[in-house]
Amino acid sequence: MKIIVKLTGALHAEILRDLTRRHPFAVERVGFVSARIGTLADDGRLILLTRYHSIPDDEYVNDPSVGARIGSEAITWAMQAAYHGRPQREGIFHIHLHGHRGETGMSGVDNREIPPMIPGFQSVGRDAVHGFVILSLDHGSAWVWLPGDQEPIQAMDMAVIGSPIGVFQRGRRK
Amino acid sequence: MNADRYSRQSFLGTDSEEFIARCTVAVPGLGGGGSHIVQQLAHIGFQSYVLYDDDIVEESNLNRLIGARFADVLAETPKLHLAKMMIYGLQPQANVRGFACKWQNHPEPMRECQIAFGCVDSYKGREELEIACRRYLMHYIDVGMDVHGTDRPVIGGQVILSSPGGPCMRCMGFLNDEKLAQEAARYGKAGARPQVVWPNGVLASTAVGLAVDLVTNWTKKHRSHAYLVYDGNEASVNESFTLRNLKIQPCSHFAVSDVGDPVCVEL
Repeated sequence: MKIIVKLTGALHAEILRDLTRRHPFAVERVGFVSARIGTLADDGRLILLTRYHSIPDDEYVNDPSVGARIGSEAITWAMQAAYHGRPQREGIFHIHLHGHRGETGMSGVDNREIPPMIPGFQSVGRDAVHGFVILSLDHGSAWVWLPGDQEPIQAMDMAVIGSPIGVFQRGRRK
Repeated sequence: MNADRYSRQSFLGTDSEEFIARCTVAVPGLGGGGSHIVQQLAHIGFQSYVLYDDDIVEESNLNRLIGARFADVLAETPKLHLAKMMIYGLQPQANVRGFACKWQNHPEPMRECQIAFGCVDSYKGREELEIACRRYLMHYIDVGMDVHGTDRPVIGGQVILSSPGGPCMRCMGFLNDEKLAQEAARYGKAGARPQVVWPNGVLASTAVGLAVDLVTNWTKKHRSHAYLVYDGNEASVNESFTLRNLKIQPCSHFAVSDVGDPVCVEL
């Protein structure tokens, strides 16, 4: 199934600005972004990222074994956002940045830590789309759980509709 | 492919060829404006297209339809076919998805695009395209021309860039309820307006120029919107006087969150 992610240039810039801010103790930052769904041809899906939610400094847990760990308050907030997004079928994506150029992939920590959050989002927002996004400085990848799915599908493209336009294709270097 | 092919447009940037090839464009309407746009996009190197037109070539099109020949009138060639031949002739590897219908009848393929060009006749048609572009996050570039008066005809036209998050055509003073109501009073018909090849060419070239800048960022202008007015009698293109004097505020007509498939909310 073809899945494409889109966001505006302004939202992309806002996310990058926040995720590149230094944190008092965490090595990196994470955030959440709301997402809605659109239908594409041949049963494909368009994931439209709408609003970014920065995580306050004091909702990080000091854990030197990972780049960033967020506490229960932040997770609870994201679950509440998924719950309140139900009428609009608005889901929640975890988002963070790998500070290099080129295509991004899941690290071992990402693979271990992020997917287990998704069933929680699905339990409170079952008709919405959830997942996570990993940005690099000039690329981005997304893993998407469609409503009812237990496994993610990696998006084929992520497009930043700004000036300039960015089209990050899976399998392309930048 | 000969590396020389794009050497004359290398000023667009080191990676511009790749950026252009990666962008997907929609052209709903392949008449006087759309046929120019498709031709130029193919020359520049665009590879992915979503095209819509349900019309065939008629004799009255020959004064302006790029690529049309007299034989196409006799053969009743679909305009969609002409556009495809234009693209494949220049870009044999292109991915062209063409639909012999109005875009509203099959809107899903268009939603993948990053840029949609609007070459439609009516204000209502423009409004519908802009709404679709906002809802599914696409830059919308509107192209239109008209000839006013008969004794001393005046050729006018516009190219408008409406981008998600930026000012829309209502914010920029181009669309309003009065224009839409007047058109509706004529049963939505824009009428068989006068059309000639050279204003279409100027406007299409301007529109393609905006698109290339959006993709390559070669001017470094980072445009959030544009409203350019063509004066065919003076042979000039300038920023709209209305826009210059308008205080641009954040768009109040399209909420950032109003995207994706509409959802029925239970009350």
